[in-house]
Amino acid sequence: MKNYDIINHVRGESQFIDDLNVPSGTLYATVFGSPIAHGKILNLDLSEALAIKGVKDIITYVDIPGENQIGGIIQDEELLAEHEVHFMQMPVAVVIAESEFIAREASRKIKIEIEPYEVIIDPREAFAKNKLIAPPRVFEGGNVDAAWEQCDIIIEGDCDSGGQEHLYLETQGAYAYPVEGGSFRIVSSTQGPTAAQRVASKVLGIPMNKIEVEVLRLGGGFGGKEDQASPWAAMAVLAAYKLNRPVKLILPRHDDMRMTGKRHPYSSDYKLGLKADGTMLAYEATFYQNAGASADLSPAVLDRTLFHAANAYHIPNVKVTGVSCKTNLPSNTAFRGFGGPQGKFVIEAAIFKASEIMGIPAHEIQKKNLLSEMDEFHFGQKAKHCRAKISWEKMEDEFKVYDRIKAIEKFNSENDLTKKGYAFMPICFGISFTNTLMNQASALINIYTDGSVTFTTAAVEMGQGVNAKIREVISRVLGISHDKIKTEPTNTSRNANTSPTAASSGADLNGHAAKIASSMLKDRLIRSAAVELKLSIYELSIENDVVCHKGVPTQLAWADLIMRTYNKRISLQQQAFYATPNIFFDRVSNKGDAFFYHVYGSSYIEVTVDCLKGTYQFDTVKCIHDFGDSLNEVVDIGQAEGAIIQGLGWMTLEEIIYNKDGRLLTDLLSTYKVPDIHFAPKDMDVRFLGLTNPIGIMGTKAIGEPPLMYGIGGYFAIMNAVMAFRPGVSFKISSPYTAEKVLMNLYSNVNIDEKVSALKEAVK
Amino acid sequence: MNRTIKFILNNELIEADVNPAAVILDFIRDTHLTATKEGCKEGDCGACTVLIGELKNNEVVYKSINSCLFPMGNIHGKHVVTVEGINQPGKELTPIQKAFVDEGASQCGFCTPGFIISLTGYLITSDSLDAKEALYSMDGNICRCTGHNSIIRAAERITSNFGTLANANGTKMKVLADNKFIPEYFLTIKDRLAKIDRAEIQKNKKDNNGASNYFVSGGSDLFVQIPDVMMKSNIKFLYDIPEIKFIREENGNILIGSTSTVNDVLNSKIMQKYFPSLFEFIELFGSIPIRNSATIGGNLNNASPIGDMTSFFMGLNSTVVLSDQDDKQREIPLRDYYLSYKKTDRKPDEYMKYLYFKIPTKPYHFNFEKVSKRTYLDIASVNSTMLIEMNGNTISDVHISGGGVFATPLYLRKTREFLLNKTLSIEVIKEAAEISQTEIAPISDARGEADYKKLLLKRLILSHFIKLFPEIISIKDTVL
Repeated sequence: MKNYDIINHVRGESQFIDDLNVPSGTLYATVFGSPIAHGKILNLDLSEALAIKGVKDIITYVDIPGENQIGGIIQDEELLAEHEVHFMQMPVAVVIAESEFIAREASRKIKIEIEPYEVIIDPREAFAKNKLIAPPRVFEGGNVDAAWEQCDIIIEGDCDSGGQEHLYLETQGAYAYPVEGGSFRIVSSTQGPTAAQRVASKVLGIPMNKIEVEVLRLGGGFGGKEDQASPWAAMAVLAAYKLNRPVKLILPRHDDMRMTGKRHPYSSDYKLGLKADGTMLAYEATFYQNAGASADLSPAVLDRTLFHAANAYHIPNVKVTGVSCKTNLPSNTAFRGFGGPQGKFVIEAAIFKASEIMGIPAHEIQKKNLLSEMDEFHFGQKAKHCRAKISWEKMEDEFKVYDRIKAIEKFNSENDLTKKGYAFMPICFGISFTNTLMNQASALINIYTDGSVTFTTAAVEMGQGVNAKIREVISRVLGISHDKIKTEPTNTSRNANTSPTAASSGADLNGHAAKIASSMLKDRLIRSAAVELKLSIYELSIENDVVCHKGVPTQLAWADLIMRTYNKRISLQQQAFYATPNIFFDRVSNKGDAFFYHVYGSSYIEVTVDCLKGTYQFDTVKCIHDFGDSLNEVVDIGQAEGAIIQGLGWMTLEEIIYNKDGRLLTDLLSTYKVPDIHFAPKDMDVRFLGLTNPIGIMGTKAIGEPPLMYGIGGYFAIMNAVMAFRPGVSFKISSPYTAEKVLMNLYSNVNIDEKVSALKEAVK
Repeated sequence: MNRTIKFILNNELIEADVNPAAVILDFIRDTHLTATKEGCKEGDCGACTVLIGELKNNEVVYKSINSCLFPMGNIHGKHVVTVEGINQPGKELTPIQKAFVDEGASQCGFCTPGFIISLTGYLITSDSLDAKEALYSMDGNICRCTGHNSIIRAAERITSNFGTLANANGTKMKVLADNKFIPEYFLTIKDRLAKIDRAEIQKNKKDNNGASNYFVSGGSDLFVQIPDVMMKSNIKFLYDIPEIKFIREENGNILIGSTSTVNDVLNSKIMQKYFPSLFEFIELFGSIPIRNSATIGGNLNNASPIGDMTSFFMGLNSTVVLSDQDDKQREIPLRDYYLSYKKTDRKPDEYMKYLYFKIPTKPYHFNFEKVSKRTYLDIASVNSTMLIEMNGNTISDVHISGGGVFATPLYLRKTREFLLNKTLSIEVIKEAAEISQTEIAPISDARGEADYKKLLLKRLILSHFIKLFPEIISIKDTVL
């Protein structure tokens, strides 16, 4: 099945914002950010910068005609700092010049005087000082307090998971220009065109109908352009508004990394109670989320952590508390998994510790506690079409995992220079925006008189193949070949009030809308064909670009049918709307069927650690994933593989370091390392579970986010190998597991978990 | 400051009056060839990869480079190839492009042109087709979407389906064109490049005499650090000066010209003869495009405390030969070359001509170790090089360097002095590793905490011996 987008990609013909041929007279913007992470602005001197030849203007908050407010969930974020700065590189001014080079030169000449305030970068410190984004949230199922005494063993501990830079290859950017009547058009690299439109309209103080946002495609998003693409669109349009000229604003990589938020780092406490046989009875956890300087999407991310705190396990008594802590970092934001991975990491850490203390393999505890059909999640929903166990068992069978473990044990007994480690990682991930109202989408299909078709939906293409999938839906419904169908860029004038393309839901929501639109068109076309052929509509269909009668091709081909339908004055255009049915969530009791369905799967990971130097290489990832049916297997496998590697990257190489002043030290690709071609495990085998999704679009399941969480197993596989080199010792759990931490674990005592080491000893 | 630079861009002869410090990426994109992308502007993502072809011995020799770091001043008389220059007419795909489509080896598409260029460059430059080498050819390209497995599968399709291409001696370009890997016009490039007056390079060089603020060779460091400063500086471009691009054996020494690239060193038969494990060491340096542009002189004079080639050649106890504008030369041992952080003994009007080191006396052993957060295309947390000459079980000479553990690249004098003339034993080796700890002072930064770097250097020194003398010391002798 062809993916038309890729054909343009390999020839370098796909256009991104910076590739647009802009008219002469276009101006270029660069953003000046605060050199201090927290403080009061005493003076801003633009004079020297403005004096540079070629500088057209420098915009600050005073130039904003509307509201200087871009907060989504909570109104707590200024577009340009007014009196205080809250993180280092917080945007203060926008320099507009004839070239990017001149704009950068001028930006360096801006002088700012700031009275420094206390800088907090640690979420627990922020919590202690009562700096919270919102009141803590608690999800509770069963009764943990009553359950502890039934437990044979109770493990308490803490662990940290690090942030993650999105590192979409295309940096943030927007191109804005005035059109007649005081309106503006913005081409933005955003996952949320409507969010960009709303923010731009608010900042300019003009109605939304005067802002048109178009999205060609994204050079990667991963959540980083869900809400955080809007400020750059707003700055570009603000400059276009003030100067009445086209303005392009593309963030250089360095600025992108320093000015935008990342995956939320978490610091968490857990308490896990089990029976002696490994059955988990009670789980309590508190998640301290490092939200950064403003709310952004943090409360929603935190909720998803709480939803997924028990991963794919049934634990009858769960109480999980989430605290969103305000720190002086760029506001952390959506990142593939949206808090889910952070929640799962903690329960996996707790299970790992339990296995150490109880002396039974972690995978036995994992397997024993997997969800069964109609088990109730701690937020009240029941697991339906539950595939936790079946995917695990299929993984065991197809990959002969226990033979592999024996081989590893043999290898480790014979080798000292390197040790191998392994881990299992099951997943369960809920599909739907947990903010129920966002689960809506629309599609517009045009058929032109020559029979060619265009479609456009609320979905934004960012490499996930959503357009290839929707094209497949339309192709199947209308019975026409792919090459007759063209995708139009996502545009707020064609599809209004769109939800962002996020939460893995793009193909589900927009695919359903496209299916409804194409079904309506098809009904009209079949009626038209029935008139032309003087046959019953019940015996007609369209297959392979031809009208068929009882499955047999007639003389009436697609293009002919279309022209004849047009001649009869029947509309060849259809818009349709879809809203996910049967979901609700009560945000007071924190109970409800928040998710349309869940995605399951099981994976097995092997790694080799170089014990001389602390480096490591993942050898094997074996995975049975609950894809449902597939609209495009190449796209689906690609999503799964890419997500797994991104998850492994989060757990290992990808380390975000801020110093105590709030300065990002890993602010370039030379200091922030993502997986490269050598990182890829040579033996990667992702297979379909092979069961359909009865309520999914064409039997499919959402794919974008869930497989990322298999990567969590990478952390524990490395720890397993380290412990093979240093048996009897237990280590603190803090991701990412960099080569530095591995070497320190191999040869020093600084990161030893004394408590668990002692407990292990006692059990022996 | 502008200069006239003449080169062929894809199929078009360009004569441009440009600032020679502008990087090719900006020039290409300004001419509306937008397939080549800007991803990081520091040579770390490969979205900007292009091929550069130049005439050598009446053949056009191609290599991949990062166009975001390669100055216009370095491309006079060369052929620059972007994806637009590889595309077949119409909508036909090259076999590489088709393999990418079939394997889904592209998702968002932003990095894709860079991968296509790298793999096409591999087919053009390699004498054989091999899946592992094909993978390595893309080691400078980062894809954030696919995780790379589908890209590896696409490359494997090419190496398995076109394995016989490699046998096309002498007619390789024609065979590649016949198989639609490259368009036909490639066959005309040799004659067209020959018509560009190469003497202009020399002329450009003289124009700049005396006025240069910067000597630039490959540009892969200066254009990362201070690209905007370069745009306003006078630059003396060294990259194409043939007199300082050589590797030769002379009077018991090996001499390496300062604009020899890292890959020149890697591919040198002389170096391979004396250091059979050279590839294992040098594959850890940057990526192929970086190694194609980065030079030995650049790496040594950049004076980074963590330069891999600096560590490598310091471990060989090399000597640097500097020259001023009047060709007055002087020599400095590399171990004494670094005065303080990022400061060398070089005077502003001096440039490095070459370095040399004594060919070691047999039996000798040589090892280079590097650990970075990511194994490939990353800057080391700590690196170390050791050359050791043995007389029976006695160390007759030894040189050890350590990078990333001090403000400058460090020659570990005390460790050397301790080891000299000692009989190798577990105790001696462990004590040497401990002594190394007393002569270093690493700082905590993005590449690791100071304590880690201290421990890591110790481990790397032990690794030298565990690898070179497994009969004397094993990892078990070094555990806590």
